[in-house]
Amino acid sequence: MSSQDHLKETDTEARFEFKKEENSAFKSEKGLTEETVRVISEDKDEPEWMLERRLRALKQFQAMPMPTDWPEAPDLSEIDIDEIVPYIRPDIDVRGGVDDWTDLPDDIKDTFDKLGIPEAEKNALSGVGAQYESEIVYQNMQERWEEKGVVFCDMDKAVQEHEELVKEYFMTKAVPPSDNKFAALHGAIWSGGSFVYVPEDTTVEMPIQAYFRMNSEGMGQFEHTLIIAEEGSEVHYIEGCSAPKYSAFNLHSGGVEVFVGEDAHVQYSTVQNWSKNTYNLNTKRAIAEKGGRMEWISGSMGSKATMLYPSTILKGRGASDNHITIAFAGEGQDIDTGAKVYHNAPETKSTIESKSISKDGGRTNYRGLVHIADGAENSSTAVECDALMFDNESTSDTMPYMEINESKVDVAHEATVGKIGDEDIFYLQSRGLDDDDAKQMIVSGFIEPITEELPIEYAVELNRLVELEMEGSLG
Amino acid sequence: MSTKAIESLSEDTVRRIAEERDEPEWLLETRLNALDALETAELPDVIQTPGRRWTDLEALDFEALVDPLNQSDTTERTAGDDEVVVAPFTEAFEEYGDVLEEHFGTVLDPEHNYLTALSVALFTTGTFVYVPEGVDVEDVTVRAEMNSRSLFSQTLVVAEESSSVTILESIESGSEAGSGSEGDRYFSNLVEVVGGENATVQFGSLQNLDDDTYTYSLKRGVTDTYATIDWIESNFGSKLTRSDVETELNGDGSESQIVGTFFGSEDQHFDVNARVWHQAEHTTADLVTRGVLDDVARSVYEGVQDVGRDAWNTSSYQRENTLMLSDDAEADASPKLIIHNHDTEASHSATVGQVDAEDLFYLESRSIDSRTARNMLVEGFFVPVLEEIAVDEFREDVEELVVERLQ
Repeated sequence: MSSQDHLKETDTEARFEFKKEENSAFKSEKGLTEETVRVISEDKDEPEWMLERRLRALKQFQAMPMPTDWPEAPDLSEIDIDEIVPYIRPDIDVRGGVDDWTDLPDDIKDTFDKLGIPEAEKNALSGVGAQYESEIVYQNMQERWEEKGVVFCDMDKAVQEHEELVKEYFMTKAVPPSDNKFAALHGAIWSGGSFVYVPEDTTVEMPIQAYFRMNSEGMGQFEHTLIIAEEGSEVHYIEGCSAPKYSAFNLHSGGVEVFVGEDAHVQYSTVQNWSKNTYNLNTKRAIAEKGGRMEWISGSMGSKATMLYPSTILKGRGASDNHITIAFAGEGQDIDTGAKVYHNAPETKSTIESKSISKDGGRTNYRGLVHIADGAENSSTAVECDALMFDNESTSDTMPYMEINESKVDVAHEATVGKIGDEDIFYLQSRGLDDDDAKQMIVSGFIEPITEELPIEYAVELNRLVELEMEGSLG
Repeated sequence: MSTKAIESLSEDTVRRIAEERDEPEWLLETRLNALDALETAELPDVIQTPGRRWTDLEALDFEALVDPLNQSDTTERTAGDDEVVVAPFTEAFEEYGDVLEEHFGTVLDPEHNYLTALSVALFTTGTFVYVPEGVDVEDVTVRAEMNSRSLFSQTLVVAEESSSVTILESIESGSEAGSGSEGDRYFSNLVEVVGGENATVQFGSLQNLDDDTYTYSLKRGVTDTYATIDWIESNFGSKLTRSDVETELNGDGSESQIVGTFFGSEDQHFDVNARVWHQAEHTTADLVTRGVLDDVARSVYEGVQDVGRDAWNTSSYQRENTLMLSDDAEADASPKLIIHNHDTEASHSATVGQVDAEDLFYLESRSIDSRTARNMLVEGFFVPVLEEIAVDEFREDVEELVVERLQ
């Protein structure tokens, strides 16, 4: 059975909406104190410098205000850090992840089986990491990449085994904890995530994937992803995430740092399907050197509220960035997402393509910033946002910001908002499709420019999620 | 933040202004309330992004700029028609006191922000325009010169049912301009437009103050059913201008167009804002702004198209284009869409760029020198907005100012 069939045949809703008994080896107290941070660090047996960074980030977190002064910002008032369980180590024998699914406890293995991860690994991926609660439980990469010096491992393990690299890059250059309140929170209590290192002139042909699963009620997941792509290398990293729905809120506050070396090419794809009680407050940032190319592809389907603006700093001459984002907000969802690009060198180029759909009272917002620094001659940027609204209870906002400090540039921003075309529906109906199918088809067409950028498995998955949203059967 | 208290401001000051103008009690009340509001009112919102505040209004030294009792201006008003009233407030109280009282402050809350409250408390000039039902006038002009360190102006336009009026307002610095410390001056201009059922108002404004002047201007209109309010906002002068032009489309089938032009050179700073709220069915809005920046000038643009829950069948469009003539100029832009009703067709676009190299090459290959070629292209850049200006006199003024700047 191909993974495509597998995805089709599994009931997607059931794939995400199941809960497992909470079975942890270590669970921190609720809330956030210096003691919590020390306990997490100790449980991970971290070097002193990492503990120091955590404690400094904690201080910054405590000093910073919530981002409530943003225009039309999502409501975060429900988030009470003292109610969050920041760290749960699942009951597994091997820290840093086993490399054989059958070595996992049955409930965890069953979780990822249902999510279709082992199946996808066999068919389309170079490597897979799987995180359950706060820790990576499975980690494997095909040997041929290992032989070429590619590293794909659990972030906690990287702190131990690639200490120098991590010390240099971890929250020092791309996402310092001072960046925003939730980056600081992340810096204090991060756990799990992936470390990827691709040596010079190495092309990792098939994507590598990490999957993040939250199982327990009221927990927070704070995984950190660090990707270093050396000169002339190429890698495609995919992350997926999901959690079953609980009545209490969950918090996901990940941190992603990508370093795109000279003429390197990194693609970072996300299909986010958190349960609709999850606050998804991420900080993702890439720095691209001369001729480097960064691509962010994001599908935001789940969560109660998302605030996520993947950003790229185009640092070297001729570096380029490409953002493709799709947001789907159904009932009770507030998806506030967008892109940030800093053009800090000449001849840099960025394109941002955003598609959003709001339905049944959901709200989507494109919030983006393009900054062209003085001296970034002959740079160009093109931003295009399209929004589709289904009904009158929904909201669709577009808030781009452009800061242009250089004259030899080409800057264009365009946005449209509209409802689904009556004529389009009528046309499809006249060909024998019913109303629902017609709408679904139009939506699939609307997001196609984005799905076609994804590997087939993910495109299928994204389409399936959209279909479920359209049927109103999720959440 | 409770903003800067201005020491020279007291209830006495406000009473003296009202007394000298022989104003009715309700207006004095309004002024005093506005004065009280200064305690808590905030400066207008300014866009802030990480590491960048787009316009710094906090840096303005109102203590030095505001000189309430020595305001002076020379204003010429022409009505073009006997049926329309075009007069300073002081001449209108007697006959039109009730119309003024009914509408003053209804479109634009005096306590909207610190600068509007300051303006309402202290205004000494401005114009009342009253267009009775069914009257159609084309040539209302209000040309003002500012002759003092600070000047506060308040204008109210009331267009009754099925009336139509075209108004041109201009402001420049007079030759006898008095000055404050370091010669800085402050001009504040509030305009309210009441568009009655099926009325049409075109309000054009041309600001060409000298480069020591800070300007705050807020113009807002409210439309009744089938009314149209069109704005043309041209900014050439001043050191720093914050300009907001806004329409609330409250009547079914009403329309608004906001056309903006600016030309910044040397260290001029323009913070230009166009906003429209669709709050009724079948409303249409079109926001078009074009600006040129030379030297180290800076522009900030915010455009907002807000479509309310009940605004069925809305059409709303916005375009903003900035042309950079100098490498040291800076342009910030934020066109925003806030859409609460799906029965909407809305779009916006914004661009920043320089004179097209191929166009330039084409003209040069026709043996036009590069300076002239560039100037021709800049003049051409303004054509789409000039075409929207209905009054010939106004269009010629703007064209002249563009040509002057390009010398």
